[in-house]
Amino acid sequence: MTITDVITLLPLILLSATVVVLMLVIAFYRNYQISILITLGGQLLAFLSLFVIYPYAPRQITPLIVLDGYSVFYMGLLIAASFTIVLLSYSYFIKFESNREEYFILITLATLGSSILVSSNHFASFFLGLEILSVSLYTLISYQRYQEHRIEAGIKYLVLAGTTAAFLLFGMALIYAELGTMEFSNMAFTGEITTVNQPILLVGWGLLTVGIAFKLALVPFQVWTPDVYQGAPLPVTAFIATISKGGMFALMLRFFTEVPVGSSSSLWGAFAIIAILSMLLGNILAIVQSNVKRILAYSSIAHLGYLLVAFLAGGVRGTEAVAFYFVAYFITSLSAFGVITILSRQDHEMEDLNDFKGMFWRYPLLGIILTVAMLSLAGIPPMVGFYGKFYIAFAGVDQSLWLLLIVLVGSSVIGLFYYLRVVITTFMREGDEEAERKELLFGKLIISRTGSAVLSILGFLMLAVGIFPGPLLSLIEKLVSGMG
Amino acid sequence: MNVATVPMNVGLILAGVLFLFGVIGIIVRRNIFFILLSIEIMLNAAGLAFVVAGSHWGQPDGQVMFIFILSMAAAEVSVGLALVLQLYNHYKSLDVDEISKMSG
Repeated sequence: MTITDVITLLPLILLSATVVVLMLVIAFYRNYQISILITLGGQLLAFLSLFVIYPYAPRQITPLIVLDGYSVFYMGLLIAASFTIVLLSYSYFIKFESNREEYFILITLATLGSSILVSSNHFASFFLGLEILSVSLYTLISYQRYQEHRIEAGIKYLVLAGTTAAFLLFGMALIYAELGTMEFSNMAFTGEITTVNQPILLVGWGLLTVGIAFKLALVPFQVWTPDVYQGAPLPVTAFIATISKGGMFALMLRFFTEVPVGSSSSLWGAFAIIAILSMLLGNILAIVQSNVKRILAYSSIAHLGYLLVAFLAGGVRGTEAVAFYFVAYFITSLSAFGVITILSRQDHEMEDLNDFKGMFWRYPLLGIILTVAMLSLAGIPPMVGFYGKFYIAFAGVDQSLWLLLIVLVGSSVIGLFYYLRVVITTFMREGDEEAERKELLFGKLIISRTGSAVLSILGFLMLAVGIFPGPLLSLIEKLVSGMG
Repeated sequence: MNVATVPMNVGLILAGVLFLFGVIGIIVRRNIFFILLSIEIMLNAAGLAFVVAGSHWGQPDGQVMFIFILSMAAAEVSVGLALVLQLYNHYKSLDVDEISKMSG
C-alpha cells in the first residue's frame, strides 16, 4: 500500500476518524451542540476529500476496494444525504432526555458502511460494508427505547437483516466454491449456467439475489418494510429509505455490470418478475394505508421497482438512468421525511394522515414543500421525479422492454392516487374541534430555523434540477459512465 | 504431499443441511431466543461452506471470511441480546407473535 493509496482512501478514513473523535469527545465532555458540529465537520471534510481523490480515479486499492468515478459519485450522494439527515435530526433529538450524542456516531458509522458498499469490488468488503451499515441501523431504529414500537421494529429489522446476511454469505460461499475467486472482476464466466452443468453456482446466484432483494425490500421480500418504517424514529426512517437502499443498489449494479447476466438467463427473468411485482404491489398496497410513514414505505418499494427497470435495461444508459433517479429520489424523499420530521415532537410523531389535515394553512412553506415532494414522487413535471422516470423509460425503450414499461406507466398512475390524497389532506380546512385536538397534541410548535432552511434548499433543488437537468446529467455522464 | 481430504461436495452438502436447519428454525420457532440461535446456525453454515471452499482452492480466503463472519455474528448477538432484554422489560414475554403489534 503506497501513500497514493492512502490518499485515495481519504473519504473512508475521514468518516472513520469522525466516529473515533466523536466517541472520545463524548467520553470526556458530553455536549449536544459540540457533537453535532463534529459530525457535520467530519462529513463535510469527507465530502470535500472526494475532490482531492477524483484525479487519482480509477484506482484499485488492495483487492477489496475500487475508487472510480462511479464510487466517487455515489459516495458524494450518500455523504450529502447523511449531512442533510444530521441537520434535520438536530431539532428532532434536542428534547430527547436520554443520551442523544451517540446517535451521531451511529449515523456516521452507517454512512461509512454504505460508502464502503458503493466502492467495494470483493465479497469481503461487500460483507463488511453491509454489516457496518446493518449493525448501526439496529441500534438506530430502537434508539428511543422507551417509546412504543421502537424495540419491536429494531428486533424485526435485526432478525431480518441477520437472515439476509446468512443468505448472502451462503450464496457467496457457493459462488466462491465454484469459481475460486471473490473479486467481482474475476468472476465473469463464459457460457450459460443451467441447473445441469453448474448447479452449485446457480444456487449461489439464487441465494445472493434473495439476499439483495431482502435488503432492497423488493416484493416478495418486502414484508418487513412498513413495520420498520413505522417503528423507527423519523430521521432514521429517512436514512433507511435513502442511504441504506442507495448503497445496496449501487453495489448490485456494479456487481452485475462486472458479472453480466445475459438477458435470456433465468436470473434476468427472476429480476423482471420481481420488478413487476414491486411496482404493482408497492403502489396498490399504499392506497389502503392511513399512516404516512407506511405510505412512504410502500412508495419506496414501488420506486425500487422502477429502478430495477433501468437496472434490467443495463448498459451505459441504464447506469446513468439509475444515477439520475437516485439523485431525484434522495432529494424528494429527504424533503418528504424532512417536513414530517420537523413537524414532529419527541413524544408524538406526525404520522397519521389526519394529523396532516389543514397543515398547509398552519405552515404554508412546509405545506408547499410537502406538496412539491409528493408531486415529484408521483412523477409530475416539472419536478425532478418526472425526469428520473423519463430517463428510466428512455433506457427501457432503448432495450425494448415493453412489458416492464407498460407496468411502470400503469403503476405510476395508481401511485398518483395516494400521493394526491396526502396533498389534498394538507389543503383541507380543519374544523374547530379538530384544531383544538391538534393544539393539545402538538402544542405551539416552534419550527426550527435550520430545518426550514434545509427544507427550502431541498425544495428549491426539486424544482431547479427538474427544470434544468443539464448540469446534473453531464456530471453523471462524466463520473458514472466510466465504471468498470 | 497428499493428505486425504474431505471432498468439497460432501462439505458443501453438510453446510447446506445446517443452513436448512437454520431456515426451518426461524420459520417454526416463536421464541425470540431460538430465532437468534437459528440465525447463528445459518451464519455458521455459511462459514463452514467458506472454509470448505477455501481448502478446496488451497487459499486462505475462506478462513479469513470465516473470521469476519465470527466477529460480525458476535457484534450482532450483542446488539440482539440487548434488544431482547429491553423487549422483555416492555412486554414480559419472548414470544414474537405477542410482541408484534404493528400490522396493516
